[in-house]
Amino acid sequence: MADSSGKTLMDLITSDPSSTIPSSAAPTTASSTAPPPQTTSSSVGAPVPMVVDKKTKKGTLMQIQSDTISAAKAALNPVRANIMPQKQKQKKRPVSYAQLARSIHELAASSDQKSSQKQLIHHVFPKLAVYNSVDPSLAPSLLMLDQQCEDRTVLRYVYYYLARILSDTGSQGLSPGGGIPTPNWDALADIDAVGGVTRADVVPRIVDRLTSEALNADVEFHPRRLQALKALTYAPSSSSEILSKVYEIVFGILDKVADPEKRKKGIFGAKGGDKESIIRSNLQYAALSALRRLPLDPGNPAFLHRAVQGVSFADSVAVRHSLEILSELATSDPYAVAMALGKAVQPGGALHDVLHLHDVLARVALARLCHTISRARSLDDRPDIRSQFGSVLYQLLLDPSERVCFEAILCVLGKLDNAERTEERAAGWYRLTREILKLPEAPSVKETKSESKDAPASKNSKDKSSKTRRPQPLIKLVMRRLESSFRSFSRPVLHAAARVVHEMGKSRAAAFAVGLQDIDEGVHINSFSESSDSYDQDQDETSEGLRRVSSVANGTSGKDTIAGLLASLMEVVRTTVACECVYVRAMVIKALIWMQSPNESFGELESIIGSELSDPSWPATLLNDILLTLHARFKATPGMAVTLLEIARIFATKVPGKIDADVLQLLWKTCLVGAGPDGKHTALEAVTIVLDLPPPQPGSMYEPTSIDTVSASDPKSALALQRLVQAAVWFLGENANYAASEYAWESATPPGTALMMLDADKMVAAASSRNPTLAGALTRLQRCAFSGSWEVRIIAAQALTTMAIRSGEPYRLQIYEFLHTLEKGGLQSQLADMHVSNGEDQGASGTGLGSLISPMLKVLDEMYGAQDELIKEMRNHDNAKKEWTDEELKKLYETHERLLDLVSLFCYVPRAKYLPLGPTSAKLIDIYRTRHNISATAGLSDPAVATGISDLLYETAKPTPAEPDTLDDDLVNAWAANLGDDGLLGNNAPAMSRVNEFLFGAGTDAPDVEDENTTSRPSMSYDDLWAKSLLETTEMEEDARSSGSSSPDSIGSVETSISSHFGGMNYPSLFSSKPSTYGSSLSAERAGGSRFSIPSFGGNSHDGFNSPIREEPPPYSSPSHQRYESFVNPLAGPGSQSFGSQDDEQFSSKNPQYGTALYDFTAGGDDELNLTAGEEVEIEDEVDGWFYVKKKRPGRDGKMAGLVPVLYVSQS
Amino acid sequence: MLLAVLMANSEGNILVERFNGVPAEERLHWRSFLVKLGADNLKGVKNEELLVASHKSVYIVYTVLGDVSIFVVGKDEYDELALSEAISVITSAIKDVCGKVPTERLFLDKYGKICLCLDEIVWKGLLENTDKDRIKRLIRLKPPTEF
Repeated sequence: MADSSGKTLMDLITSDPSSTIPSSAAPTTASSTAPPPQTTSSSVGAPVPMVVDKKTKKGTLMQIQSDTISAAKAALNPVRANIMPQKQKQKKRPVSYAQLARSIHELAASSDQKSSQKQLIHHVFPKLAVYNSVDPSLAPSLLMLDQQCEDRTVLRYVYYYLARILSDTGSQGLSPGGGIPTPNWDALADIDAVGGVTRADVVPRIVDRLTSEALNADVEFHPRRLQALKALTYAPSSSSEILSKVYEIVFGILDKVADPEKRKKGIFGAKGGDKESIIRSNLQYAALSALRRLPLDPGNPAFLHRAVQGVSFADSVAVRHSLEILSELATSDPYAVAMALGKAVQPGGALHDVLHLHDVLARVALARLCHTISRARSLDDRPDIRSQFGSVLYQLLLDPSERVCFEAILCVLGKLDNAERTEERAAGWYRLTREILKLPEAPSVKETKSESKDAPASKNSKDKSSKTRRPQPLIKLVMRRLESSFRSFSRPVLHAAARVVHEMGKSRAAAFAVGLQDIDEGVHINSFSESSDSYDQDQDETSEGLRRVSSVANGTSGKDTIAGLLASLMEVVRTTVACECVYVRAMVIKALIWMQSPNESFGELESIIGSELSDPSWPATLLNDILLTLHARFKATPGMAVTLLEIARIFATKVPGKIDADVLQLLWKTCLVGAGPDGKHTALEAVTIVLDLPPPQPGSMYEPTSIDTVSASDPKSALALQRLVQAAVWFLGENANYAASEYAWESATPPGTALMMLDADKMVAAASSRNPTLAGALTRLQRCAFSGSWEVRIIAAQALTTMAIRSGEPYRLQIYEFLHTLEKGGLQSQLADMHVSNGEDQGASGTGLGSLISPMLKVLDEMYGAQDELIKEMRNHDNAKKEWTDEELKKLYETHERLLDLVSLFCYVPRAKYLPLGPTSAKLIDIYRTRHNISATAGLSDPAVATGISDLLYETAKPTPAEPDTLDDDLVNAWAANLGDDGLLGNNAPAMSRVNEFLFGAGTDAPDVEDENTTSRPSMSYDDLWAKSLLETTEMEEDARSSGSSSPDSIGSVETSISSHFGGMNYPSLFSSKPSTYGSSLSAERAGGSRFSIPSFGGNSHDGFNSPIREEPPPYSSPSHQRYESFVNPLAGPGSQSFGSQDDEQFSSKNPQYGTALYDFTAGGDDELNLTAGEEVEIEDEVDGWFYVKKKRPGRDGKMAGLVPVLYVSQS
Repeated sequence: MLLAVLMANSEGNILVERFNGVPAEERLHWRSFLVKLGADNLKGVKNEELLVASHKSVYIVYTVLGDVSIFVVGKDEYDELALSEAISVITSAIKDVCGKVPTERLFLDKYGKICLCLDEIVWKGLLENTDKDRIKRLIRLKPPTEF
């Protein structure tokens, strides 16, 4: 936009409608490129700052080409060099910045002449304003004008420009003001080493001048004094010197004028009054306005004192600022503010005057102030004060301005700032639904001390004035107000009303969530279940807590129940969906989502959303915002997972191109975890419905009629839909086992049984009868593997492998068979010979998945082969009645470990429980383990260990290595299903951060302009990474070994650096069963595998909602530390002596030593560890003056182990 | 915080902008977002009819006045309704200065005065003066309340 000024602006600034500008000469990005020099004779119509005379143009261009610095110099030259001035009065000429600047310099010198003043006012200053920013070199002339000129308008402009020069908010040093772009003056001045004027040069002079003016107590001078003070507040607040000066001035003025002895009440903004008091009021206004712009110092009692005085000032703007200052101060110290306000809050006090003040924002500030104080814990022992403020707040509910009324409602609901506190919200809903409001004309002063905290206002007002107005239930009042607002035609009002309903829904959800515990009066529980919630009932029940007037009983019909009121409100809200503004509709939908209660049917909501989404005018950001709302809603009420997933599905099918697959996936995942055992199937179904959409071919036009639900009408959304399908497929593969609660390591069926039912039909039948969830997921994935686009098929195959590995029989066999078919299927006969020798050709033919599937099949082959072998061996032993020898057991165990390693390359399995050799091997493996005292979790070359994934599990597994069964099954399974951490992509993932940001109400950062959203957003989601790693398979084959995992945030890289540091100490494998035989394709897979696993597990759970992730172990520690740890711990137990002697000498010196950090130490490299003095560490080892130490808990950087200098740690 | 006041012509060129508390790197985004918003929605809208939008917890109220579209962006206490208040003060000040609904040419002719008005209405990200007469007095360097 910066370059958009050109033609029109310049055209108009010349004041000559007919003058046209050659567009070729329009300035482009003048802020970055220095304008070429200004010459004396101007060409008509050429724009500024590119005013170039034809005659000199060539030369100028050459100059620019040869030396930009001199060009930049030249740009400023006209300003200072006093070249012959342009004829300013000729209005039809374009006016360059340089010309204007020059005029100012000249006219400043002759400012006493009327003509000069006139020219300044009508010509120079207004036109100068059109430029984006003002050159600091103008400051001397402006100051001269300030001193000498008498004309008010000129002076007003002078203050304006001085403030512009002072203000410092831009990266360029000057805050831009729109209009014609200007260069970075400071940079230009810096280039011009001889005499450039920078802001730094002029700011002190300006400040000095303004300061002296602001201190001028002359009565006639006082308007200028106000402006000078105002301009001063623009000075950069980073300079403490200037700041203290301004404080001094402001408090100096207030000292003189703020004291209330001559205060007159009731003249707010009114004309008249004696001159002295008006001047006084003007000064009060100026001082408080300035104070409001300065940083607040809550510790300084002067602020509080002056602000409290300000509440009774005559100037309404001053009152507003005082209230704003007070409400800000009250957030940190409500007690002090309440005490300072003292009598002001009492009836007839200054705060009550504010109620009638014609300044909306003042009343808004009052509402916030009253809310803060009436909720303050520090005032628990002063219920009278709290109720006084509460009373004022409730009076604001009747305010004629929606802004004020809504603010008051939000305050009642417990929403003050962006910090969401569930208790506060729940209490807000409680207040809203319980309180009876009696609004006196003049509120009573009388308070009783015995009031409960929850309902100060109703009691406050009950003593008196019942004749004036009938008491009303608060909620009724609020509902009426909202309903009438929804009938407004103004979009902002509609939007705001919908937002209030949205917040109301949040508070309601919080009340549901907290419900029983927080609201301690048991009698209220019933009333939270909606429909039985009438006021009559309510009254009887709560009579002990809140004394109510019996005449309140206007709740005679069903309409007066909360449910009835809500229903009628929601009816109005729903009709608002007809508003033509999408933002209003979005807010309405959000409100509906929040107001949706778990036990109501959501058909209506669904149909509203469904029909809404068909509207193409929805911007993507808004839709994602609603998705995030679903997420937030889920967190508030986990029980709604299925409902929310259904809604999310509508988004996925209707607007695949506009929503963010990451956010959607996150939603799926959290819902799946939160859905509980019963909901898991439904939750998974909701996800997989996405897969039932035939994925469109990329780039091809999609026929919307062919599938009634999908609308991927353009290539972009077709691509997005496909991405979505990929995400869904991956999600399914990762989580199907979790959802189905089917795990190989829990399967009761011995492999033998399954192997016997090789008849495919029977197998499918058996499978689906045993576990319909898993069978359904399988079927869907199989279809995807056949019919999807190439990318989808790849992921489907991967997902199937994951499921095969994790599931028991007959699923594994079923998948195995399917994969086998897939590999062979469609293979062209002419290529049949080649495929043996050349993997690439396989990939290019048939289903295209041959080269991808073969390693997966190989693993399964090996597993089955080993199982066969095991069964054979067992029979042999049985037949011969032979015990298993140690040698045989060792061999078996090695096979077991090797297979575990292989399996771990494809997906994560709990190592302690997973039995690649089948359930029958469990006993033998156990025997061997016990005999050799091997921890079940101690895998030497486990890729999961290498990449740090396993830490999640091992952290808790290690105390009980002997009886791994004590592990919470659900937990293990959740981890296995990759659900252990909530962060699907880790906390740093874009989706996660967006969710959190949303939940915490952040959001000032600039919006993306829509188009960037779906296509160019860099996403590190799994499927991208994984797909990439697959695509790179060929090159990875060469260097996979060395590069390991090369993704930038990979833990693996840390691991490699540490292990290389400890190269000499890298423990040899106990069983030397590295999967070295597996060949290069495997290592490629390893790279791919670790790539994808890391982002899945790397993050720490961020949120605290109720799911298994609660018990999640601390975030990963350094993998190599893990490696050590897994040795150390089992050895610490008894029986470690039975270890082989070779191992013994490796470990005997490894008894843990402890130490304390003596000093802070800052890590200088990846392998070093930050230390804080006093921190306790476990010393693992010493190398060349360095300790390898382990912390008890991860440091701020998340690291747990690393190197520190020996001298920094004292051994204990 | 009133994050931004922005005025653009019908082609989307920025005539006036005042950002408060918006990092420099985000301003460009805001500009293009707002201009796009205007281009999408302001066709055929009556003068001074208020439109609303939001992005995260930031509110936007915008309107059209003659050839000029006006956007105000705010957050926290400056929600849609407070912004409506601010924008109506701004439009009425512009109308006062221009004498009628401004064309782009008229707007630029009165550019200086409009800047002064804006300076009195929005001061460092907070709404300051809302009263028409008071603004008029202040831009002529007269005291806010006259005797």
